Amino acid sequence: MSAPAVRVRGLSRTFGEGDVAVRAVREVDLDIAAGEVVLVMGPSGSGKTTLLLMLGALLRPSAGSIEVNGIGLARAPERRLPDLRAHHFGFIFQDSNLLSALNAIENIELACNLVGVGGSRAEERARALLERFGLGHRLHFRPDQLSGGEKQRVAIARAMANDPPVILADEPTANLDSSIGRDVARLLRRLATDDGRSVVIVSHDARLKEVADRVLWLEDGAFMELSQMATDPVCAMAVEAADAPHFFAEGETWWFCSASCRDEFAADPGHFLRLMRRSGGDGRGTAHSA
Amino acid sequence: MTRMVPLARRNLFQERRRAVLAVAGVAVALLLVLVLQGIFAGAMRQVTAYIRHSPADLVVSQRGVRTMHMSASALSPDTVARARAVPGVAWAAGIDFTTVVVGSASGRQLSYVIGYDPTDRRGGPRRLSRGRAPGRGEAVLDEIAAKQLHVGLGGRVQALGAAFTVSGLFRGGTSIVNTTTFVTADDFARLRGPAVSYVLVGARAGTKPDELARTLAATLPATTVQSRAEFARQEARIVSDMSADIMRIMAAIGFAIALAVVGLTLFTVTLAKLREYGVLKALGARPRRLAAVVAGQAVWSVALSLVVAVALALLVGAVVGRLTPTVQLVVEPADVLRVGLGGLVVGALGAILPLRRVLRVDPASAFRRPS
Repeated sequence: MSAPAVRVRGLSRTFGEGDVAVRAVREVDLDIAAGEVVLVMGPSGSGKTTLLLMLGALLRPSAGSIEVNGIGLARAPERRLPDLRAHHFGFIFQDSNLLSALNAIENIELACNLVGVGGSRAEERARALLERFGLGHRLHFRPDQLSGGEKQRVAIARAMANDPPVILADEPTANLDSSIGRDVARLLRRLATDDGRSVVIVSHDARLKEVADRVLWLEDGAFMELSQMATDPVCAMAVEAADAPHFFAEGETWWFCSASCRDEFAADPGHFLRLMRRSGGDGRGTAHSA
Repeated sequence: MTRMVPLARRNLFQERRRAVLAVAGVAVALLLVLVLQGIFAGAMRQVTAYIRHSPADLVVSQRGVRTMHMSASALSPDTVARARAVPGVAWAAGIDFTTVVVGSASGRQLSYVIGYDPTDRRGGPRRLSRGRAPGRGEAVLDEIAAKQLHVGLGGRVQALGAAFTVSGLFRGGTSIVNTTTFVTADDFARLRGPAVSYVLVGARAGTKPDELARTLAATLPATTVQSRAEFARQEARIVSDMSADIMRIMAAIGFAIALAVVGLTLFTVTLAKLREYGVLKALGARPRRLAAVVAGQAVWSVALSLVVAVALALLVGAVVGRLTPTVQLVVEPADVLRVGLGGLVVGALGAILPLRRVLRVDPASAFRRPS
């Protein structure tokens, strides 16, 4: 088995000292594989954002280690952190956080500039990314001329600007309506499936479970529960394995979003399994351990 | 060099009204400095016009006297003949000089009065615009002065305690300080006594003026010999020394206004963008990149303001020259450079506070919810 793209051990963060010390994150261990989407959920104040900030080299942990593709972040010198962030992470923020004075293509070019790529190379890269995300007709639109969904797609394109192995997304669907939120979620899924990137999403939005390989529940700074996610072989929706209807076929347990999907599958399992394999089924048809 | 996204320019001009106001504010401040320097440079040009346009290579004056302005020089009448006899001297022309009030029925003007030999013409006005060189009892006036005195050709003016008929007019002899009037050397001697104030000397072809100056100084005791350029420099310096303090104060006020406007603009633009600077930091921008953005905004503000200020100064110069002919506003490239450099210093100072704020922005702020 290949080494995880992100490896976190004993990660803790305490704010303040003595009686007023707050332990925001407590000895978290986490491995994230390349191509995996991990959704971190939890109540407000549970430490989700603190965890994300530490994963993104934006906040020093009080203890523990973080490795991204074998590079240790927790103790990297301060002066190296900007480069590490620019090369290893793509950030997606709740409000897209595009620079308001720049148009869509410039927002992405600017991210390329941060790793020393400029001129026509940056422009070509930015154009290709925007076209990939269906924004070829919005290259020169400023953020205030884009819809919420378009802005978030530009932000995703910006996160991809330097081809980072890890994407960190903070509430990426929070301000979007359901259909656009679902589009954004699918885009994030594609970043993992098509490009082999590790995607960590921090969110309250349960819709994102559909695209996650794992859902982690953070409470009081520690993971309380790990849900296994599976893909319904009938409708392709992601489901939490533990709670969902299931069916045993061909030596494996299959999980479904509803009893009707299960019944449809049960009528002709071979049909659905053939379809899955033809479409390049990645094994997500079965629940797997987190 | 790799082309980068011009974030500084985009940030600065995102709100055009604010950018225009800022550029206009700084431009007006720089204009104040440029206009003051322009008036000063114009006055210098006017004050030194006679000597700069003289055909002389060297000027001989009484020992220790290095200027005409605010000076009096008295040389022995035979100095001209003795200068002519020095090897290497092509010609020598004596002029008489004093500063008096020239009056007419309609007004009075402070004036240099220069007595010269009209048959030689080397000590006289460069070119007459109207009329002819003065004869006995006649004077040549600058056109602007004649207009202000309400006299024309054939008109009468009082100078040196006598009446003169205006025989000719010339241009370029009136400054913000005074005017210049030419009479014959004979009239000057008749009214003020037989002395020579300065001797203008032309060097023979092939003779080096500085060597000739040393020979003349050795031959003519109790004199100071200077090149024409040096004499003009000294003349300018005396005017400069007289007004240096006020110029410095006014320039400081101008730059202070510019500093306030640049500083306020950059601070406002930066404060409005603090969250975006946090985003940039989160994305991996190094401090020097952020500093470059703030500095770029300062440079853009100052550069555009300077262009506007120079254009306005040229316009003001044209208008002032038309409305007040005695005031000449000259925008010298060296002054533009000085004001530009001053502006950059102002921009750098104005960028310090915003820069400190930007460098202190926490990249994690990009993840905080906007309030």
